[in-house]
Amino acid sequence: MSQRRGIHVDQSDLLCKKGCGYYGNTAWHGLCSKCWREEYQQVRQKQIQDDWALAEKLQREEEAAYASTQGTQSQSQAAASQTHPAPPSLGPFSKFEEKKTNEKTRKVTTVKKFFSSSSSRTPKKETQEGRTISPSINRHTSLEMDQVSKDFTEFLKNLHKPGREILKQCRVFIMNVSSKKELKADELSECVQDFYQNMADRLTGHFKGSSESVEQVMDQVEKYIMSRMYKVAFCPETTDDERKDLAIQKRIRELHWVTIQMLCVPIEEEIPEVSDKVVNAITDIIEMDSKKVPQDKLGCIKRCCKHIFSAIRSTKNEPASADDFLPALIYIVLKANPPRLQSNIQYITRFCNPSRLMTGEEAYYFTNLCCAVAFIEKLDAQSLNLSPEEFERYMSGQASPRFHSAEGEQHRAEAGATNPVLEQLNHNLEQLTGLIARQERLVEAAQSMQADLLSWPECVQREVDNILEEYPLEILPRTVAAIDAHDVDSDRLPHPLTPQVCAQ
Amino acid sequence: MAAAGASGKTYSFKAVLLGEGCVGKTSLVLRYCENKFNDKHITTLQASFLNKKLNITGKRVNLAIWDTAGQERFHALGPIYYRDSNGAILVYDVTDEDSFQKVKNWVKELRKMLGNDICLCIVGNKIDLEKERHVSVEEAESYAESVGAKHYYTSAKLNKGIEELFLDLCKRMMETAQAEERMKGNGASQSTSNRRGVQIVDDEPQAAPAGGCCSSG
Repeated sequence: MSQRRGIHVDQSDLLCKKGCGYYGNTAWHGLCSKCWREEYQQVRQKQIQDDWALAEKLQREEEAAYASTQGTQSQSQAAASQTHPAPPSLGPFSKFEEKKTNEKTRKVTTVKKFFSSSSSRTPKKETQEGRTISPSINRHTSLEMDQVSKDFTEFLKNLHKPGREILKQCRVFIMNVSSKKELKADELSECVQDFYQNMADRLTGHFKGSSESVEQVMDQVEKYIMSRMYKVAFCPETTDDERKDLAIQKRIRELHWVTIQMLCVPIEEEIPEVSDKVVNAITDIIEMDSKKVPQDKLGCIKRCCKHIFSAIRSTKNEPASADDFLPALIYIVLKANPPRLQSNIQYITRFCNPSRLMTGEEAYYFTNLCCAVAFIEKLDAQSLNLSPEEFERYMSGQASPRFHSAEGEQHRAEAGATNPVLEQLNHNLEQLTGLIARQERLVEAAQSMQADLLSWPECVQREVDNILEEYPLEILPRTVAAIDAHDVDSDRLPHPLTPQVCAQ
Repeated sequence: MAAAGASGKTYSFKAVLLGEGCVGKTSLVLRYCENKFNDKHITTLQASFLNKKLNITGKRVNLAIWDTAGQERFHALGPIYYRDSNGAILVYDVTDEDSFQKVKNWVKELRKMLGNDICLCIVGNKIDLEKERHVSVEEAESYAESVGAKHYYTSAKLNKGIEELFLDLCKRMMETAQAEERMKGNGASQSTSNRRGVQIVDDEPQAAPAGGCCSSG
C-alpha cells in the first residue's frame, strides 16, 4: 500500500491499457479519454442494435398474435354463438371494467395535478413521478392499446389489400418516430402532419376522390397513430405546455368571482333543466383531458357546446347566436377549470387531422374554445364592465361580488333571485338557526324536568316525615287471650254441643 | 381551406360573419338556412355555425358560415375567427351609423391581416326600416368600392337580397380559389403551409393563403 502511494509508481499503471501511450484514468476503466470514447461508442451502438432487433422481434410476434387471435376469435365466436350465449356479454363487461379503472387512474393523476399546482415550483419532478407511478397503469394502457389495434385491423380488413398497406405504413411511421427520441414537439407535429398529408393524398388517389371514405380511413389512422404516440406527444417536456397549463389554471382560479351577469350570459340557472345542461357541459369539457385521440377530444368539445346551445335555447327560446354562445362558453370554462387545458389545445392543434381541424362544426367549436381561453388570459376590468378598482379588489380577494350583494337587504333579494344555490343556502341557514333555538329550548325544558324529578322524591320524603312527626306511631300493647279463656268474644258463640241420649 | 382539385371535386369555403351585436347577423343566417324570421318554430338549436351545400354551375360547394361574437369586448379575438377564411360578410345596420363605423374598422383589419385573398362583402341590413336610415347609399357604396368589397342591401325580415348575397359570395370565392389553383399549377410547389390549425397566438400577423390542397371537404 505504502509502496503504491509513494512516488515509485510503475509508469505502466498510469498509462492507457490499450497502450496508445497516453495516460489512462480509472474512471474510464483505465483507458485514456480517446480510447474510452471509442470503446463506449461501440458498446452503445451494439446496445442500440440489440434494442432494435428486440423491438422488431416483438413487433413480429405481436402481428402474428393478432393474426392468430383474430382467426381463433372468429372461430370461437361462431362456436360460442351455437353453444353458449353467455360469452359475448363478457366483452362489453370487461371493457366497462377497463374504462372504470382508467377513470380511476385518471382521477389519481388529476388529483396529483391539483396538488402539484399549489407547489408549482417543481413541475419536472412531478412528471417524472407521473411516469413511474405504477406498472398497473402501463398494463391498462397496453390493454387499451390492444383494443385500438384490434379495432384498427378489424376496420382495415374491409379494405383488403390497401388495408394491409395502410397498417404497414402506420407501423413503420410509429417505429420511425419512436426511434427518434430527441424530436421537438414542433418537429414531431410536422412529421405527423406530413404523414397525414401523404396518406390522404394516396387515399384520395385510391378512392378516386370520394372524400367521405378518405375521411373515414383518416379518422381511423389518426386514432391508431395518436393512441400509440400519446405518451410522447402529449405535453412533451421540450415545450412549456405544462407551465402554461398551470398558468391558466391559476388564472381561472383567481377569477372564481366572475358571475354570469358580468359576462352577460343568457343562461338562467334557476331553471332545473338549464342547470342540468350546464353541469353536463362542464362534465364534457373536463372529460376532454381523459381522451387520447385528438378527434375524441374534439368530440368532447362538441358535446359540451351542444349542451351550452340547448341551455341557451331553453332560456331564451330562440337559436343561440355567437353573441350568446361565446360568453356562455367562457363561463363554462371558468366554472369547469378543465385540467391541462393548454396542453390539450396544443395537442389537438399539433396532431389533429387537418381536415377535421379546419372544416366543419368541430373546427368552429374548437376555435371558440381557443377564443374563450384567449379571452380569459387577457380579461380585464373593461371586459367585465367593472371599474379598475373593483376589478383589483375582486382579484386580490378583498371583496367578493356575491358577498357584497348579500349585505344589503334589497341586494340580498337580488342575489337570491340570481343564484338559486345561494338562496337555498340562506334558506337552509335560517332553518338551521331556528332548529338551534328549538334545540336549546328543548334542552332547557329537559333540564328543568330533570331537576323537578330529582326534587320530587325529596318532597315526598319531607311530606312523609311531616306526617310522621304529626302523627307519631303508637303501638298499643296487645293482650292475647287464650283460646279457652272466658271472654267477651266467646259469648256470641253458640254453646257447645252437649251430648244427648236419644230414646231408642 | 378552400380545398378543391379538379372540376369534379367539392369546394369547401369558410365565411365569417362580422359586425356589431344587434345588426341582425343571426337573423340573416337563419333566414338563409331555414328561411325563417323570428319564428317560434325554428328547429335549429343554434345559429352560430351553419353549413350549406350548394351547387353552383355544376360544381359542388360546401359553405361553412361562422358567426362571431359582435360585442366590443370580444373584438380582440377576431383574428382567431377569421384566420383561414375565404370570405367575410361584414354586416351593419342601415339605421345605425356606429355599426357602419365598426365595419370600416373590420375591413381595415382584415386587409391588413389577410391581404387580398379574402372576399369581402359589406352588407347593409334592415332596409325595411328605410325611413330611419342613417347611413347613406352613396357613402356606403363608394366606401365598399374603395376597399375592393362588394356592397349589398338585405332585409332578413322581408327576405330581400340574402340569397343573392351568399350566391355571389360563393361565386367570387370560387374564382379566387381557381385563380390560386392556376397559380399553383404553374410550377409552384404544393403548399403545405396551410394545414396548420388554429393557434392561440393571435398577435402574429400570419397571412395564410386562402387556397390549400389538404382538406377536400
